Amino acid sequence: MLDKYLTKPGFGAAVKRERGFLIFILLMFILPFGIRALTGSGLNEGVTKFWQGQLITFFIMAVFAMSYDLLIGYGGILSFGHAASFGGGAYTFALLTKWWAPRFLESYRVMLGSVNISEGIVLLLILLAVLAVSIIIGLIFAATSIRLKGTYFAMLTLAISSAFYILIKATDFHQWTGADEGLHGIPLPVWLNPTQNRFTIYVVSLLFLMICYLVMRRMVNSPTGRVIVANRENEDRMRMIGYNPVTYRAIAFVTASIFAGFSGALYSIWNMSASPTMMSAVTTVNALIMTIMGGMGTLIGPVFGAAISQVIQQFFYTWFGARWPLVFGILFMLIVMFLPYGVVGTWRLQGWKVKQGWQRFLDLFKAKKAAG
Amino acid sequence: MKPKTKKIITLSIVVLVVLVITLLLYKVAGKEPFIRTALSGLTLGSLFFLVAAGLTLIFGLMDVLNFAHGSMFMLGAYMGWQLYTNPTFIFALLPHLLAFATGVMLLPLIKPTLVRMKLPEKWVNAIPKITLVLALLLAVFSFIGFDILAYAKTAMVAASIATAGNPFAEITPQEPFATYWIRPVLIFLSGLLVAIASAKPGNKQEFAVRERLSKTLPVPVIFFSLTILALVVRESAPKAVLLMDGNLRFAIAVLVSIIFGFVFGQVVEITLIRPLYVRPTFIIIMTLGLSYVIRELVQLLWDPLAYQMVRPPFAAQPGKAANLLEWFQKGSSTLNIFGVTFPTYRLFVIALGIVMFIFITILMTRSRLGMIIRAGVQDPQMVEALGINVKSIFTLVFALGVAMAALGGIGAGPFLPIQPLMGDQYQTQGLITVVIGGMGSYVGAFVGAMILGMARAFGDYFALKYSLSTAIAEASTVIIMIIVLLARPQGLFGKKE
Repeated sequence: MLDKYLTKPGFGAAVKRERGFLIFILLMFILPFGIRALTGSGLNEGVTKFWQGQLITFFIMAVFAMSYDLLIGYGGILSFGHAASFGGGAYTFALLTKWWAPRFLESYRVMLGSVNISEGIVLLLILLAVLAVSIIIGLIFAATSIRLKGTYFAMLTLAISSAFYILIKATDFHQWTGADEGLHGIPLPVWLNPTQNRFTIYVVSLLFLMICYLVMRRMVNSPTGRVIVANRENEDRMRMIGYNPVTYRAIAFVTASIFAGFSGALYSIWNMSASPTMMSAVTTVNALIMTIMGGMGTLIGPVFGAAISQVIQQFFYTWFGARWPLVFGILFMLIVMFLPYGVVGTWRLQGWKVKQGWQRFLDLFKAKKAAG
Repeated sequence: MKPKTKKIITLSIVVLVVLVITLLLYKVAGKEPFIRTALSGLTLGSLFFLVAAGLTLIFGLMDVLNFAHGSMFMLGAYMGWQLYTNPTFIFALLPHLLAFATGVMLLPLIKPTLVRMKLPEKWVNAIPKITLVLALLLAVFSFIGFDILAYAKTAMVAASIATAGNPFAEITPQEPFATYWIRPVLIFLSGLLVAIASAKPGNKQEFAVRERLSKTLPVPVIFFSLTILALVVRESAPKAVLLMDGNLRFAIAVLVSIIFGFVFGQVVEITLIRPLYVRPTFIIIMTLGLSYVIRELVQLLWDPLAYQMVRPPFAAQPGKAANLLEWFQKGSSTLNIFGVTFPTYRLFVIALGIVMFIFITILMTRSRLGMIIRAGVQDPQMVEALGINVKSIFTLVFALGVAMAALGGIGAGPFLPIQPLMGDQYQTQGLITVVIGGMGSYVGAFVGAMILGMARAFGDYFALKYSLSTAIAEASTVIIMIIVLLARPQGLFGKKE
């Protein structure tokens, strides 16, 4: 099914291939201006601000779900510990920004000409730390997959992520991590503050989504990505050919973990806080739900899934009241039962039927015209 | 090395390690705290076992990881609590369920006739879909105007009143029979339509033997008479149950939980899990969704609050019993064990766990069903080739596991707050137990559960002693699991694949 993506190399072909996604990004970029033109409120206030907020959550969760799709859809690895990477990124960012950055900014000042870039340097260093932590967490999970497979592995990932969760919730470290309440009020520079400069965050997360999608798409279509998919299909045969499955699983884990870690860091910027929920199994299950709803192993599916779940969260509350998750859960079960390939996967499998039907409908019209 | 000697070596190593750790803990903690903590650990271990036993059997036989097991534990607690404090809800809903079941149970009676019908192919495909939609519509119709929420809420009010000694004040008057009778009829028709849909009329691939009426008729007739009975006692039964002796009421509550778990497990296996055996990953995801739905449903019915169930009289009288005999005579709430005061109800939970372990051991080693299950764990295809209906065994084992989780739920009811999230912790610990013990091994589940219970209890004790947070106790189980997995990836009693 993916073969059509492998045919043409080159930049122009890539742009043509991803034109739908790029148009979507462009539309999303124009959207705030459109809302501003319609309602007359400024970019950082009123309705525009509200809708930007909704979309920012959607963008970040879409990247998180896509990174989960790398594992479950392409790698065929059912991990219940993906939230550890997300929360790990978020907490690394929050802890460093809260406790280390102010001290650094007090004692050092980095100048580029006459511009003070020390805040930018600090941000860069912190993001590097996020990268390091995500890689380490990814490697931990990869290391456990050496000896265990299938269900045992799924349960071990659950246990490891719950160990992280317990660690972050432990009251022993209350003065640093805030235990149950989480870290609040992360000091962010004004130009990155989501309450003051929402449009900046909006653009940043939109670019983040675009870059992550394109990088992941490139990775999935690369030879490495193909080997990861082959690992999902038949591990023994792959070992026969001479690939080491452990290495490729580790690559899948680390890549997924890096994307999840960065989305976690961005999420903590956007909320200006990090809470233990980000590390709990609920977050993993959310990513799982988004991936399943959109379609596993499609990469664009999780984006759809994130959009659907965001829309559902918005509207179900007003339609069904406080118990809306009941309706959502039933919907989810129906999707698992009847649309196992998700929205995108089912469309790819069945889309031609719809197209055929549409064509037949058009033909009918033409025939009538010709007869008339 | 022979497998048996290897097993004995493993067992002796485990026993040795346990003994050394016990001695060490005894030395560090001192006598009285040691006994108290060990008994708390046994209590927790019993509950873990009740959850893990179902999980391990279900996994061992059909490779299904049931992530809704904790929710089923919670449902068992809710059902028992409902019956114990105010059974109005259960008795109001009973005619519905029984009428529906009567309809579905007619399946073996009508299937031979329906399958032999000669229908055009179009209809063969369309009839099951149409009938299912009709059945859903009828079921919805039968519930319109039926105030389920009000019946559910009665126990919430009663929960506070029952402690004051007057549980009768809040029994809601039920709908008069003159307008009520249509509901069971409608839902019976709905069940009948479901039976027709699953009989697949005219389908040439289906096969059904025409059996004698004496074989197929009794089940629907029994269900029909039960429905009539439930209709008759609909209003009087809640009062009668509440008038009963507390101990008897508790026994009935336990029984209701078990039966509920058994039936619920069967329904879940047949409707949700059976179609997905071809896609194993999706079963996990499906059970996740199911647990989500169950939790939300419970929150809808009983609000997201925590309830306290009253302890049954045999462990609720004030005073401390000097020995077991005195407890049995007086029903004291605490008992003196080697100089330690311990709540008697927890001893009951420990006994429950041990009795269930013995029951499972006997079931697995001495009965025909146990033999089939053990064979099925080894090789399901071969068992099927020998002419045993593996599908129905799957259903039975799943139902058995869920029933045990429900029993654990009602067992935990009187000393845990009853709330929608109460099962989650037990599910996580149950999963860890299963991994430690080895999937598919009930002995492993028992040993693992006891180890985890002890780890939790002693972790809590030492955390308190050295003024640390309880995170250590929670993390200790995960650490034990990781150690066991690294040393023996298949678990303590698991078989190597």
